[in-house]
Amino acid sequence: MSPYPAALQEIVDLFEFLPEQEKRENLIAYADQAPRQEPRDGETFNLEDVRKDEECTDTVGVYLAVDPGNRGVRFRITLGPQVQTLTRAMTSILCQGLNGSTPEAVLSVPQDFVPKIVGGELVRQRSQTVYYVLTRMKSACKVWINRERAEGRQPDS
Amino acid sequence: MTEKPSSYANPDALVSTEWVQAHLSDPEVRIIESNEDILLYDTGHIAGAVHIDWRADLQDDLVRDYISPESFAEVCARNGIGPDTTCVFYGDKSNWWACYALWTFRLFGHTQVKVMNGGRDKWVAEGRELTREKPQVSPVEYPVPEYRHDEEIRAFYADTLLQSSNGEPLVDVRSPGEFSGEITHMPEYPQEGVLRGGHVPGAQSIPWKMAVEEDGTFKSFNDLMALYNGDGDIKENDDVIVYCRIGERSSHTWFVMTYLLGYNKVRNYDGSWTEWGNMVRAPIERG
Repeated sequence: MSPYPAALQEIVDLFEFLPEQEKRENLIAYADQAPRQEPRDGETFNLEDVRKDEECTDTVGVYLAVDPGNRGVRFRITLGPQVQTLTRAMTSILCQGLNGSTPEAVLSVPQDFVPKIVGGELVRQRSQTVYYVLTRMKSACKVWINRERAEGRQPDS
Repeated sequence: MTEKPSSYANPDALVSTEWVQAHLSDPEVRIIESNEDILLYDTGHIAGAVHIDWRADLQDDLVRDYISPESFAEVCARNGIGPDTTCVFYGDKSNWWACYALWTFRLFGHTQVKVMNGGRDKWVAEGRELTREKPQVSPVEYPVPEYRHDEEIRAFYADTLLQSSNGEPLVDVRSPGEFSGEITHMPEYPQEGVLRGGHVPGAQSIPWKMAVEEDGTFKSFNDLMALYNGDGDIKENDDVIVYCRIGERSSHTWFVMTYLLGYNKVRNYDGSWTEWGNMVRAPIERG
């Protein structure tokens, strides 16, 4: 059974066996779509976390809404202008791949999908911030789950 | 206000965005983009520019070292660079990687090298055109360099240790927090695997950033001279070693001291803090 949500698995399947050049072209296409992941007029969120950490080159804003019915997450992300292209691409991929999953499912996503998508050649020391956005999304889910527990709204186990 | 480039020691080594625009079709010029953001070139670049990847193209894949002279000749040949081609480097991060690539080209004896002042950001800020179309480059012959000029412009751990022991000039170009040992990574960057913080004993802190204006262009000759010769008390004929974490920010300073100020012997310690800060029994100072 796949450890990834179905939508993310589809993206992994798309990338995993692509030749290097096609990987790059698809990553650029995803990076171009990053502005579409920003919050839209009228949207409301359960949690907004906008900050500039030392681990990333610019401000990243994570906006999380969780459907009270099916507990499906909806992420919106804002990225400062200095954020690298690979991180922009990963932002689009993660929003598309994780939206609709439960917060618990997001928390359990292993990071090993990143090299499958990006390819060994592009994963290097100075591009480790590709992992940063996932970490921030998981952090938002964790906060939301803790709040849910604190407010006695735990899901049926 | 920035002085005219003609007042630098080697004014020909620095070209403006206007100069590059005017030489886009010059067959004797090859424009080279080199970035930290490894996909940035693919998102758009100066028309006709080729991409040199600081790691994939210039570094040995197995050993922590640069490529062989044979591989360098291949890199040049496939990018349409002949031995007499004028290479104009530009890139992101105020030209860190452009200077790193230029320094590496100099390791192989390619001397026709220039930097586009202000780098990619200035080109974009001026509204100049970028394209995603990769240039159709006809391969050319590049004779295999006889040797790599490591001894002239590159310093190794042992050289740096000797420099430190002898009290010769050592310039640490990292941020003040990295120099003092307060942090072991660049601000805004992930930890890159360094076990100890601090600096090489005797090194003085002159962060690379002090050499550039807000827009990434180089400061004037007088301002730079005041920085290195005045505050830093480094003389033109001193034997100088510069270092950072992995050698890219110090390439920037190497370019400033060598080309813009005309220092005669500056070597870049590319092993830098990721080697020194991990080396067993390497002496370290803090504060």
